[in-house]
Amino acid sequence: MSTSSSPIVFVVDDDEDMRVSMQRVLKTVGLRAELFATPQDFLQRNIPDAPSCLVLDVRLPGMGGLEVQHKLIEAGINIPIIFITAHGDIPMTVKAMKSGAVEFLTKPFRHQELLDAIQQALQRDQLSRRHRNEIAELQQRYKGLTARERKVMDLVVSGMQTKQIASVLGTSEITAAVHRGHVMHKMQAGSPAELGSMAERLKLSANR
Amino acid sequence: MAKEDVEKTLAELSRDLGESKARLEEAQRVAHVGHWEWDLATDVIVWSDETYRIFGLSPQERPMDLATVRSMVHPDDREPLYQAVDQDLVAGQRPSGEFRIVRPSGEVRTVSSLTSERWSSLPGDTKRDASGRPYRLFGTIQDITDRKCTEEALQEISRNLLESKTRLEEAQRVAHVGHYYWNLVTNRVTWSDELYRIYGLSPQEGPTDMAIIREMIHPEDRELVFRAAEEALRSEVRPDAEHRVLRPNGEVRTVHGLGTVKRDASGRPYEMFGTVQDITDRKRAEEALQRTQLDLREVTRELQRQQAYLTEAQSLTHTGSWACNLLTRQIFHSSDENARLYGFDPSQGAIPFDRFYNAILAEDEVALRAKLENAIREGADYDVEFRIRRTDGAIRFLRGIGHHNPSQEIGEYVGITMDITERKCADEEREKLRQLEADLAHINRVNMMGELAAALAHEIKQPIAAAVANAGACLGFLEGERPDILEAREAATGTIGCARRAAEIIDHVRSLFKKSFPKRESVDVNELIREVALLLHNDIRRNSVTVHLELAENLPEVAGDRVQLEQVLMNLMLNAIEAMRDARGDLRITSQPNDDGHLLISVSDTGLGVPADKVDQIFDTFFTTKPQGTGMGLAISRSIVESHGGRLWATSDSGRGATFRFTLPHDGSMGT
Repeated sequence: MSTSSSPIVFVVDDDEDMRVSMQRVLKTVGLRAELFATPQDFLQRNIPDAPSCLVLDVRLPGMGGLEVQHKLIEAGINIPIIFITAHGDIPMTVKAMKSGAVEFLTKPFRHQELLDAIQQALQRDQLSRRHRNEIAELQQRYKGLTARERKVMDLVVSGMQTKQIASVLGTSEITAAVHRGHVMHKMQAGSPAELGSMAERLKLSANR
Repeated sequence: MAKEDVEKTLAELSRDLGESKARLEEAQRVAHVGHWEWDLATDVIVWSDETYRIFGLSPQERPMDLATVRSMVHPDDREPLYQAVDQDLVAGQRPSGEFRIVRPSGEVRTVSSLTSERWSSLPGDTKRDASGRPYRLFGTIQDITDRKCTEEALQEISRNLLESKTRLEEAQRVAHVGHYYWNLVTNRVTWSDELYRIYGLSPQEGPTDMAIIREMIHPEDRELVFRAAEEALRSEVRPDAEHRVLRPNGEVRTVHGLGTVKRDASGRPYEMFGTVQDITDRKRAEEALQRTQLDLREVTRELQRQQAYLTEAQSLTHTGSWACNLLTRQIFHSSDENARLYGFDPSQGAIPFDRFYNAILAEDEVALRAKLENAIREGADYDVEFRIRRTDGAIRFLRGIGHHNPSQEIGEYVGITMDITERKCADEEREKLRQLEADLAHINRVNMMGELAAALAHEIKQPIAAAVANAGACLGFLEGERPDILEAREAATGTIGCARRAAEIIDHVRSLFKKSFPKRESVDVNELIREVALLLHNDIRRNSVTVHLELAENLPEVAGDRVQLEQVLMNLMLNAIEAMRDARGDLRITSQPNDDGHLLISVSDTGLGVPADKVDQIFDTFFTTKPQGTGMGLAISRSIVESHGGRLWATSDSGRGATFRFTLPHDGSMGT
């Protein structure tokens, strides 16, 4: 797994002093920071496959922080965001948090507040990354199933016994058992219950 | 002579006598003449048959005597008759006379009696009166009643005729009507007296020549008159013409002639009769009347026109006129528009006072009644505004102006009522708009301050946040088992840099106010004060503040930035108003020229005042005693005033309010 690669914190703030000071704060705990003066610069950067989070100033020239958040969600980029602002108000905070912001810090903030928020964000990113990888793996396995095996998987998940499956498919019980065996093997499921859980996660991801 | 001859002659004679007597009888009968014999000695009277008839008796009905005859004479005539007879007899004359008799039927007849002979002896009579006095009278009697009547009738007719003629002449004279006969055969004209007068001539007898008449007709009318006459002669049309007459003295009269043509059996006209009336006076009167009528019509038309204009004007201006007695609730006059104002149909006739009055809204009626009663009591005019509910349900604002003439009865007013709803609405709308503008201006000011403060806060927060972060990082590098001094130093240096930057920003902001005054215009400070007071009208009213403007007249203008000076005034006045929140205080603004070429403006309140130890601090940036204050107002105000070359300071009267004063050099002292 490549999740072991070191985490990156992206900082977008138009104030250079702010960027540099935050970089220093991150450096105290050995975190790597990438600094951007404008949101456009950041959006052009390909997000590497590493735990990461974004520290985003709400008031930015050209494009507001909330707009950047919106654009990232639209692009399917799932990165935790910590908003910082010199002049936060409650409606703005609520909106940002609803859209999945990790934290909303008001300037001037204590350096520990920033670090705590970043730690939380990175953990959340790691978790979601793992989750996303598992789903991808399951999807990979599911893709390996034949049409008939997928059908058999649905029937197994719905709680049918081999005999019932055979009757639904109109085949012999032995044939049904062979299909069932293939499904369990290909999906690397140890039990019908595990297969059910896998199906549930696949369905969720498919709905997403 | 032989006996036979005598007898024969006697018989012949007798026959002749009988014939004569019969003839006499017949003659008497035809002529209504009878005869009588009166024996004066015996008073025996003998009548002929006709005499009996005259007296209304049958012939020889009975023997007559004087007493009987006497009794038949009309009582009134009896005594005079016989006295006259006696006198005549004494005088030796033959009596005669006219007298009335009364027939047995009661009919009265008039008779004439003549005595033809007085006999002292009848011829051949032997008996003679020795005295020679007559002893017998013989006479005739004639019934003259009919002749008498005719005579009297004739006399009556003649009298009447004369009278009629006089009356006619009188009538003609009065009516100025004359008449004429025109004998067509002889071509002679006969005129009545009045006709002469009409023509200005003296009445004279005899016919008048047609040629003369012709001359006297007005030359322009001559042809008309004669054509009418010819027309009348030719056809059956009666001549009827109005024409003018030229009197010899040159006077012109207008006459009206009416005529009729008389024709003989063959239809040939032989005479024209006509009347001529002098109608000059009537004509003049008629013309005068016509002129009067014309004038009257003109006046009426003019009145109608005026009325129409008035109605139109009333309708256009929604103004009705009226006259009434407010006490007796009688209406003497109410224009159509007056009715329409209330939604009444003026064509429905007079509308009673109460219908007008009941339309007034109850909540306005009480105050209105009080005003009207007061006006009535004092005999004063009034000017009121009230609302009514029109018949269509709409609420309208009306203004009523009533005028009382002292010579009128108590409560009598004439006046007008105007519908001022639209004006009222417009006024309210305008007031609202003005309020809105003022509010907006106020909000703008407040927002500007707010935004400025927010922008400033953001600007300053940025380096401060960076400084805090740097300091935090510095601490972070120093913590732990192996502090990174190098990094800590850098972070500390960063902190200093950021703090400096914050200071620089503040300096920059201050310098903005100090330097950025490219705009210099002439400003009338008094006008500015009034403007700002107007803009703050809402705050002033809301806080029940009374504003006193004590502005010196003819102040010189100052050169400066109008908007910024306005901002200073607004800031000071808002502060003053807020200091007197809900305290019903006095806001006093004065302006006056100073000795040193400056204007001195002061803004005083009666609020809590400024604590003595804070008087110097209040001008510091970010100093505020107000929960929502930015602490920028006074600082900025001072910057502005100073940038204009003036000073701003405050004095506080320990709990009795504060006074802010500032000076501005005026145009005369700037020398620019």
